[in-house]
Amino acid sequence: MDVGERLTDQNFPESPEKATLEGKNKFLGFWLFLGGETVLFATLFGTYLGLRNSFGKGPEASEIFQLPMVFAATIILLTSSLTSVYAVLALKENRVKQMRRWFFITLLLGLSFLGLEIYEFVEYVHEGHTFTSGAFGSAFYTLVGFHGGHVLFGCLWITALLVRNSGRGLTLYNAPKYYLFALYWHFVDVVWVFIFTVVYLMGKVG
Amino acid sequence: MASNEQPNSVHHHSSLQKKIKLKQERRQHNVSFVMMILLTIVAFAAIASDAISNSVAVLFIIVLAGVQVFFQLYIWMHLGHKGHEFPMWGIASGLLIALITVGTLVGLIW
Repeated sequence: MDVGERLTDQNFPESPEKATLEGKNKFLGFWLFLGGETVLFATLFGTYLGLRNSFGKGPEASEIFQLPMVFAATIILLTSSLTSVYAVLALKENRVKQMRRWFFITLLLGLSFLGLEIYEFVEYVHEGHTFTSGAFGSAFYTLVGFHGGHVLFGCLWITALLVRNSGRGLTLYNAPKYYLFALYWHFVDVVWVFIFTVVYLMGKVG
Repeated sequence: MASNEQPNSVHHHSSLQKKIKLKQERRQHNVSFVMMILLTIVAFAAIASDAISNSVAVLFIIVLAGVQVFFQLYIWMHLGHKGHEFPMWGIASGLLIALITVGTLVGLIW
């Protein structure tokens, strides 16, 4: 079967994302990449944990963090993780339209998360919590901003995938691409679980 | 590109069997979503309430985060499925080094 051939219910493989050698390689390579990303974020988390009480000239963490907003952001990202799971399920059932719809909802949720985060950062800057207000500020914006950068990258990634493959069915060529995006998106959510726990909740109790 | 094809890996599963499997999977995903929402609510409540002392609450929410990550990796990212032996090594070694990194950095800056 040609990799560019549109998959039908008759020739649909069990795991279209791993049916070709290229797909297998991407799958393994991406998991190794995620292992590396884990270490990357660990360096930022470690730095933050060491510096989180060095407020300098800025306000203290417990004064500025707003739990309701963080909670909303958490639920949005968690839900977007679920919608990307639904997209992968649709992929496995060869329902392209449904899959693209779920990925589009994932994109919208990702964008609303970003909007909330930008709003939050603007608020903080107004209250004197900036990148240079103290070691806490530097570590906070580096860690949380890096995660936000990952969300932004994910939004651009899925936009490119959806635009490039619009009007195309599933093939052995694009199925691994969709699948890997879903993996990436879950990973971004995993990092957020630690951010809301270590940064916001722990920051609230000092 | 054409040389990468492996026609042998295209299995023709009986569609009914596949449907049942996907239905089970969908239910699993829904259950883990509800679980993760609950874990999140409990974590926020533990910090917001005054009934639990801060040090206990911190330990508690870190455990909750660990459970949530387990749900993400095993259920949503299918790490428990067949054919994930190498990915498991990748992410496990990443997590190990991550833990050492966090410990070292926190210890250094303390």
